[in-house]
Amino acid sequence: MTVAAGMTLLAALPVTLVAVVSFAIAWRRGWQPGRLYRGAAWCLPMIAVWLAAIAITSRSLMLTAESPYLAWLGMWRHGVAGAYLAAAVLIAPAAIPAGLLAGGFAWSLRISSMATRAGGRSPGSAIAFDQRQWRHQVRSATARIAAPGSVPLLTAHGDFVAGAVIRAVGHPARLLTRLPAERLRSHQLVLGGTGTGKTTLLLRLWAAFMAIGLRRHAAGIAGPPLVVVLDCKGGADARRIADRSRRILRESGARNVAVWPDEARLSLWALPPKQLISTLVDLIEHGTGGAAYYTDVMEAVVALAINAPCGPPTSTADFLTRLDPGWLCLAYSAGGLDDQLALARSAGRQVPDVALRFRTLFRRLGPGLDGPGSFADADAWYCILEGTAEVTVAEAQARALVDLLASYIGSAPGSPHDPASRRQVLLAVDEFSAVSRRLPIWQLFERARSLGLAVQVSAQSWHGLARTDDERYRLAATAEGGIWLLRTPHPEPVIALAGQRAVVDSTRQLTGWLRWRRAGTSRVHDTHVADPALIRGLDVGQSAYIYRGGATFTQVKRLVAGPPALTQVPHPAGYEALSDQPDEPTRADVGRPAALPDVSAFLTEAFGPPVSPATRRGGR
Amino acid sequence: MTTSADPAACQTAQAGQTVHAGQTVHAGQDAAGLVFVAEMYGLQLDQLAFLLSISTRQAGALASRWTNRKLAGTARLGPGPRWVWLTRAGLQACGVRYAPAPPALSRLAHIRAVSEIRLALEAAPGYQAAAAHWRSERRLRARLGGRLGARDHLPDGEVHWPDAGPDAWAGECWAIEAELTPKTVSRTTAIMRELLSRTGDYGCPAAEARVPGLPPRHARVIYLCSPAAAGTVQRARGALGSLAERVELRFLPDRAYLPATSRARTSE
Repeated sequence: MTVAAGMTLLAALPVTLVAVVSFAIAWRRGWQPGRLYRGAAWCLPMIAVWLAAIAITSRSLMLTAESPYLAWLGMWRHGVAGAYLAAAVLIAPAAIPAGLLAGGFAWSLRISSMATRAGGRSPGSAIAFDQRQWRHQVRSATARIAAPGSVPLLTAHGDFVAGAVIRAVGHPARLLTRLPAERLRSHQLVLGGTGTGKTTLLLRLWAAFMAIGLRRHAAGIAGPPLVVVLDCKGGADARRIADRSRRILRESGARNVAVWPDEARLSLWALPPKQLISTLVDLIEHGTGGAAYYTDVMEAVVALAINAPCGPPTSTADFLTRLDPGWLCLAYSAGGLDDQLALARSAGRQVPDVALRFRTLFRRLGPGLDGPGSFADADAWYCILEGTAEVTVAEAQARALVDLLASYIGSAPGSPHDPASRRQVLLAVDEFSAVSRRLPIWQLFERARSLGLAVQVSAQSWHGLARTDDERYRLAATAEGGIWLLRTPHPEPVIALAGQRAVVDSTRQLTGWLRWRRAGTSRVHDTHVADPALIRGLDVGQSAYIYRGGATFTQVKRLVAGPPALTQVPHPAGYEALSDQPDEPTRADVGRPAALPDVSAFLTEAFGPPVSPATRRGGR
Repeated sequence: MTTSADPAACQTAQAGQTVHAGQTVHAGQDAAGLVFVAEMYGLQLDQLAFLLSISTRQAGALASRWTNRKLAGTARLGPGPRWVWLTRAGLQACGVRYAPAPPALSRLAHIRAVSEIRLALEAAPGYQAAAAHWRSERRLRARLGGRLGARDHLPDGEVHWPDAGPDAWAGECWAIEAELTPKTVSRTTAIMRELLSRTGDYGCPAAEARVPGLPPRHARVIYLCSPAAAGTVQRARGALGSLAERVELRFLPDRAYLPATSRARTSE
């Protein structure tokens, strides 16, 4: 039997050679058998041309049908005569596709036998094979992302490309990890410890959201995109990431990126009066039980100050001026507002205490929320909350920022029923659990969902996602856009959510010292889609994308931003909101004059007035 | 009117020197017309008449003279006046190595529009005062020598403003785009970005085409659009972000359309 097989392999030597080489390449690069089959399919045009050439020259169908056999005979004849090159050329059209098919089939058998733990000399062979294949697949994916231009941010169809696929389980095995654009507009979760490449992945996701959003806006499908990042850790690291985000987002099309509160401000006073009262009262710490009385008094005083007949306050100073018994009585003494006047008089003794608390709050909050400025001023906002250094301040800021964003979305130009005019908003929150005491993250998620925002929650660990296990599970279970899992020591809860798949497991009979027979039994059992051991061992820049019961292990391609500005020019004294300032230069801007000379007069002289909507409607 | 398609070719032809053995010496008017026609693929007789400030009848006679000397070919390729293009001998006389061929029928409207843009520019006093010169798409394509990538986009022309010019934009290079029919917004945006981000000359090594930190080749892109394409181009410019300030939009000159197209536009 073995001799016959050997003779067959020898007789079909060219096919055998191609099969062996393709098998070795697939093993070395961690390919799937499908890739070899596709290679064989790509050879079909060559076979067609070869057969057509034979048919035309011989003018005989019989001869054409016999051509593979004749080529085989000719190959041996040339081989015996020492004309190896001629022999190879003669047999190549038939041998290459057949060899690829044979190689692919052999490789699929090998993979199947190892997956069922039935192959190899010992039961441990399958484990070693899998680990070796993982290393090969990582090496291939790393090489793929290293090639310039091989991993674009978006495909021509507008799909997001995260990086190169290392291994896919339950997902299509492609070369690149491609996500439809809709996934970026859904809620997503990103989990990964420090130094695992989480920021790199987040920056790529933000840049893709911006680029996709601009494409959709340009096509008239949706309003302009807005990316709002809440970095709830703060510190110097947050500033560094903010600078990197700014450069990357600029390169993906954002006109301006605001860094709050360092360079830009927002105005809390732009909130509608009703919302402003609620937000201001919630910004102040108040207890429960008997303290509820003081909360009610505070709310009444704040409502009086906000709803004064002269209109709501426009700044912190204006608001604090109103927290004065005399001012409130005077404001409501014009007549017709007797109830409010009576309330202002009765609360007169508590008003100075309320004023003191708000004075302290605004001093701690800083000028970041005192305007002028709104989310409309920039295409992207990077908000830094000092959640590590000043937790209570950061909690208040987080609450105010979310309220401001919700108010902005609700009042943004464009009909709420017309998706073509609505802004596409991504709210990315990092380590929100650090500041979520006043606004539970689950509430944020629900609120965002009702407003049509995409929310991206990232944390260093499962426990950093939210305060309670219930909230964590609710977050993870509602991440319709998928979960990105980087190296983390406790991936089990997320992996459990990812689901299981059926695998075949085989036992082998031990016949002696380190000797196993092929005989044994097989059983079907369920195992995790994403292997927890693999997740714990992920290297920097590797992540598992979990979606709909499948996992794609990805080597994330790092986005390289333009160089930072060489010199940091201090802002002038009058620097207020970012919208008032010229944008910083991007890579594309470098080297051109700061302001191009105006050529309108010359062009008007040569071609007439510029194109405007009015002239366009009227034609010329 | 003066033309300044290619200074070297112009000087050779305008000086009336023999550029090839056996070639006839051409008068200045002939040279200006021949070089212009060579650079623009072909020209309609009314445009040739405008270029040389002569009547259409005189332009027809001039074209016949070129045809008799085997320098040019003429034919009624589409609506409107006859087209004239240069033969191999005509192109050799101009000192250029382009493939001799009549203008492609599918590109007649576009060629006319681009030629009209060039004529309008060269008629502007500012252009003449600055001694700016036009670098045609045909010349750019010839520089690439067939190495044009599938995704590369060539502008319909470049206008080079000499450094010593009197204008504030002296030293700039402009890309000119004629847009008769609307493309998709995303494609138009991609073309604008490509033109604005290019740093190297056409025909340079691929690695030098876009070098971060180097000044862009085109200081600005001038889009001349038909009313039908103006909306798309405007939206594409809006999607450019901060680059939008380097894109100028104007309507095509009225004479830029083929006569039949003009009638169609009027009847709409």
